[in-house]
Amino acid sequence: MRRSPELKPNLWDALTAGVVVVLAVACAAAFWGRGGGTEQLTMVVSIDGAEVERLNLDGGQGQRVYTGNGYTLTAAFSPEGVTVTEADCPTQDCVHSGTIRRGGQSIVCLPGRIIIQLVGGPADRDGPDVIIG
Amino acid sequence: MEGVWVLLTALLLTACAAPGPAEETPVSRQIVAMDTAMTFTVYGEGAAETVQAAVERVQDLETRLSRTEDGSEVSRLNGSAGAPAAVSEETYRLIGAAMELGEEAGGAFDITVAPVVSAWGFTESAFRVPEQAELDELLTHVGPQHIRQNDQRQADGTYLVELDAGTQLDLGGIAKGYASDCLAALFAERSVERGWVSLGGNVLAWGTRPDGAPWRIGIQDPKHPDRQQDLGLVGLEDAFAVTSGSYQRYFEEDGAVYHHIIDPATGYPADSGLVSVTVVAGVERGGETALGSGTMCDAFSTALFIMGEERALDFWRSSGRTFDLILVTEDGRVLVTDGIADRFTPEEGSGYRYETVS
Repeated sequence: MRRSPELKPNLWDALTAGVVVVLAVACAAAFWGRGGGTEQLTMVVSIDGAEVERLNLDGGQGQRVYTGNGYTLTAAFSPEGVTVTEADCPTQDCVHSGTIRRGGQSIVCLPGRIIIQLVGGPADRDGPDVIIG
Repeated sequence: MEGVWVLLTALLLTACAAPGPAEETPVSRQIVAMDTAMTFTVYGEGAAETVQAAVERVQDLETRLSRTEDGSEVSRLNGSAGAPAAVSEETYRLIGAAMELGEEAGGAFDITVAPVVSAWGFTESAFRVPEQAELDELLTHVGPQHIRQNDQRQADGTYLVELDAGTQLDLGGIAKGYASDCLAALFAERSVERGWVSLGGNVLAWGTRPDGAPWRIGIQDPKHPDRQQDLGLVGLEDAFAVTSGSYQRYFEEDGAVYHHIIDPATGYPADSGLVSVTVVAGVERGGETALGSGTMCDAFSTALFIMGEERALDFWRSSGRTFDLILVTEDGRVLVTDGIADRFTPEEGSGYRYETVS
């Protein structure tokens, strides 16, 4: 009768298994972290095309006042998002824009040429790249 | 020895998950130009330079085509009504294209309706309801018959255009579409692989997303104009999409709502039963030209809004042009033409009824 092969694990097998586990974890991290918006939610403000402030929203809450083209608005921010609470522009579109909460969203004051945009934060893979209209 | 093979297999699997094109980081920039917010997003080598070139191209167009900027070609033309004025070849051809598209659309798109739009206060955001007598007088200056183009090129390379006294041009209904055509040509010239541009209600979807899927273009829900909320997504690759909607600019007076899309036939905001019109057409890769599909989409989005559902769909079927439509009606229907129906995903729970039109 033929003898079964030796099945007892040796040191080389243990080392290989360990490497496989480490690579599997790295693989999963790379897959789930891919473009996953691990960046923190950040408010980027530009006036007349030039960036004037970049603020990490995880840092707490508060408000900022921005002036462009003779118009002034007040933006309240918190880790949940940004809202324009007050503006002296004639259209008030920025005030009516409500609260923006996700990367890619923005509030625009056309008369003041002020744009408040959110970048980073959790990615919405099924959401739109851009909304038209 | 088996362990070596296991190790190699694991390495191979890891390589599969390694950062690929999906990890590309775009260069993105927002500006205010042509009285709207614009976003430029470009991926790949030289993206920053391409974004800068795109911004400069749009700003140059604004400088020449703006009706409200002193010294622009259009302002000078409007200021010399009753006498010939010299404009650049580019402006001359854009005026000609606008007139042709307006004629195709049966006059529903008209670049001479500007004084009427101003009478409603939409130019300066000083809203008012004009008297009928005022509108009647202004409408006598509206129509392409009040524009004369001289196709003789002048020694300095300009062309002469003459407006009748009282007539004013506003290229705002076509300039952003023209700009998107120019940016498509710019992207082709610079061999840009992927990106997108949003010029107010005009989108250019160039190439695909980094994962190879079409760009996901959300159509703004007119019921919630103050929120960035879509009523559906259309997947687009190498395409233009332009939306005109009554929710984009309007005011209320004595309980009535007046929006900014003025019917050149009546002088009043179009009461067509539609609340938004999106026109979609493809980019012809390798054949990108100014005065292409982007310009057409911009003009037709306004014209078809004014036409209303029935006329707009008749026009779509019979115009001989290749484009598709997403119409949103006042009674809560979303009509998607069959050329893009398989690329359109309705938003669940939006409350709209979705229909495919052939």
